[in-house]
Amino acid sequence: MIKIDLHIHTIPTASDSAFDFDLAKLKAYVASASLDAIAITNHNVFDFRQYEDIRSNVTGSVLPGIEVDVDGCHVLVIADPPRADKLVLASQRLEERNAGPDNPVAVSDLLEIFGNLSDYIIIPHSEKKPAIRAATFASLAAFVTAGEVDSPKKFVRCAKDEQKLVPVLFSDARMSATLERFPARCTFLQCGEPTFAAIKETLRYRSKVFLSREDGNALFPVLGDGLEVSTGLNVLLGDRSSGKTHLLNRISAEHDNVKYIRQFSLVQLDEAQYERDFNAELDRRRSRHSEEYLSAFKGVVDEIFGIDLDAHDRSLDIFVDALLRSAEEVDRADSFSKTRLFSESTFKIAEDNSLATLIEAVRHLIENVENRPIIEKHLDLAPLRALAVELIEALWARNAERSKKDVANRIIEDARRQLAVRTSATQVPDLDLYAIAMDRKRVARFEEIARDLRREAVIYERPVQGFRVVARKRPFGGAGELKAISGKKIAFSDAMDCYNQPYEFLRCLMGKPELAEADFYRFFAHIVYEILNRDGYNVSGGERSEYRLIQEISDAQSFDLLLIDEPESSFDNMFLKGNVNAIIRDIARTMPVIVVTHNSTVGASLGADYLLCARKESGPTGRTHKIYRGYPTDQSLRAHDGSSVPTYDVLLTSLEAGEEAYQQRRASYEAVKH
Amino acid sequence: MKLLSISDGKGYFLSYSGEQTLLDKIAKEDLLRLVELTLSSDCQLDAYDPSLIHNQAHQIIYENIWSRLCELASKKKQFLDESKRLYLSEYERYKNDRPSAREVPVAECS
Repeated sequence: MIKIDLHIHTIPTASDSAFDFDLAKLKAYVASASLDAIAITNHNVFDFRQYEDIRSNVTGSVLPGIEVDVDGCHVLVIADPPRADKLVLASQRLEERNAGPDNPVAVSDLLEIFGNLSDYIIIPHSEKKPAIRAATFASLAAFVTAGEVDSPKKFVRCAKDEQKLVPVLFSDARMSATLERFPARCTFLQCGEPTFAAIKETLRYRSKVFLSREDGNALFPVLGDGLEVSTGLNVLLGDRSSGKTHLLNRISAEHDNVKYIRQFSLVQLDEAQYERDFNAELDRRRSRHSEEYLSAFKGVVDEIFGIDLDAHDRSLDIFVDALLRSAEEVDRADSFSKTRLFSESTFKIAEDNSLATLIEAVRHLIENVENRPIIEKHLDLAPLRALAVELIEALWARNAERSKKDVANRIIEDARRQLAVRTSATQVPDLDLYAIAMDRKRVARFEEIARDLRREAVIYERPVQGFRVVARKRPFGGAGELKAISGKKIAFSDAMDCYNQPYEFLRCLMGKPELAEADFYRFFAHIVYEILNRDGYNVSGGERSEYRLIQEISDAQSFDLLLIDEPESSFDNMFLKGNVNAIIRDIARTMPVIVVTHNSTVGASLGADYLLCARKESGPTGRTHKIYRGYPTDQSLRAHDGSSVPTYDVLLTSLEAGEEAYQQRRASYEAVKH
Repeated sequence: MKLLSISDGKGYFLSYSGEQTLLDKIAKEDLLRLVELTLSSDCQLDAYDPSLIHNQAHQIIYENIWSRLCELASKKKQFLDESKRLYLSEYERYKNDRPSAREVPVAECS
């Protein structure tokens, strides 16, 4: 088994913050981490002289490489040391092209710059930002050796999935003089010699690539000093002041994307403040839910917003009045009013997107990649293309027709206006009665929808570990609730008076300049978001903490590592055993979790994959903090220096206050029972 | 083909029947036809000259139609191009029955 880190930076470039390379630091890192092979991979550049200097000073295999910006992602191109001269040439070409994050090279350029890509180890970022895009990968796939990930969680996921690239985890570290802690990220390969050829060959097999030297992907180094923990569930035990929280803080500092639930962070220290925070959190969730639920209604409001029925009524009055007068004045007709255009109406040009929608649908059918096999099973693409062509021609013809009518309408309008100026006869206005009738129908439908919307009902209900999250809708109860939703200090009593006439209500909201048009849809129905306890009542203070803990742990899915410091701080054992343990176990199936606990309910019932024990010990050099570790089934837990402690002692001391207390408690329970 | 003409102090347009008809009879359908003819063929219009048209109502109508059709004739190509701008690339691709780049299967990135 060899240990490798094929992603190390030694030259600051446009993609890095400035740093001074320190060869001594690199040597110390390689020695301390017991690395068998490293690669020097700077952004778009290769310095042969520096590489030779590193190679002659660092033990183990040192491979030359470049991290290239390719189509918006990063790709490691690593060469066999005897071919380092190829990288010198490639580096010159990259410099000529001014390659960098703002000027990435294309895959086709990569072939030109590096020559035959089969001669290299090619590792793109796969589960790491900036990750390779599907199209770029398609062009590069034939040459790709492995895919770089940025966390053990992603490594394990990719290692199990045959569809993914063979994963590798590297430090991506800058070897600067100011580097305080050595990185823990590395990869182990099941191969003999750390040569370029052996590494390249081994990376072809996911069964030969691991996170740890002896335990496959069950463990991974969590700190640069070699401390390994499980990729599943770890329980960290230890007395008070034995360094448990200090260890979690170190792990949190050395890893990115960590969810860290600190001790007492969920305890109610200030009841009033806590309730405000809790309600604010509820309000955020309610707001998100309202947005989702009301999004369709927003479209309806936006359409009604432009309809002014009062203006329509006024136009109708003017139309009828003009019509009657023109009938009375029939004798006063002159050469102007007698022309046909004087009383001509314009062409009505209605917006109609149905043809465009249809073309889009056909286009999707032709171009959809994801469901191609299903589509092709039922439809032949050639006639679909012919259909699209015909529909597009129909759309063009319709657009041309509209444009022609538009020209004719402008002639009619100008001629009508000029003829009207020259005659004393009354001109009947051009009124689109169809549009007016349609608007009335739209408003009637809107009123119907708005009344349905405010009808009281539960719109969302989800059980969350013994709680129920419920969103319900109901009518607004008063102007105060409208004001609260608006978040503004304006009166809503006038709007509330016409709340039962949705169209009138909307017009009233439109009369309030402080309100944004885009927010009007939020005032028609009140969405209330509640967390109910097992009995269906609103949660109490203690229950609020329980709910927040569950939320915090559940939210950890999007992180790469979850650290929990003493979840028992403020919860009863039944809640911990029944709810929290189950969630922690679930989440540990997909990511590494480290739980610090003193509580036997958590510690003993959790079913840990790995045990860690922090101890403060006195030695010849004074008091030292040690971490013992091992599987729960091991007889003893071992520290880095080879010393060990019996697992049974650790469990009883940490969780039961020692053997004696445990036996006493046991005897007491027996006595009470009998 | 003369779409608009002036004769005997009056304005005329080319009606559907192919006759020169007095401008005071022109309706919106006739206007639409004149627009179509302007775009689809080489047409002629008698230049607007108010001194030759004695009927003032004809003057107003003639000037309006004449100026718009002249403008349209000068932008004939632009008008036809604009109406075909939508989905042009798809049209050309599908018309030649060529698969698009997106139709070529792409291997998903791991």
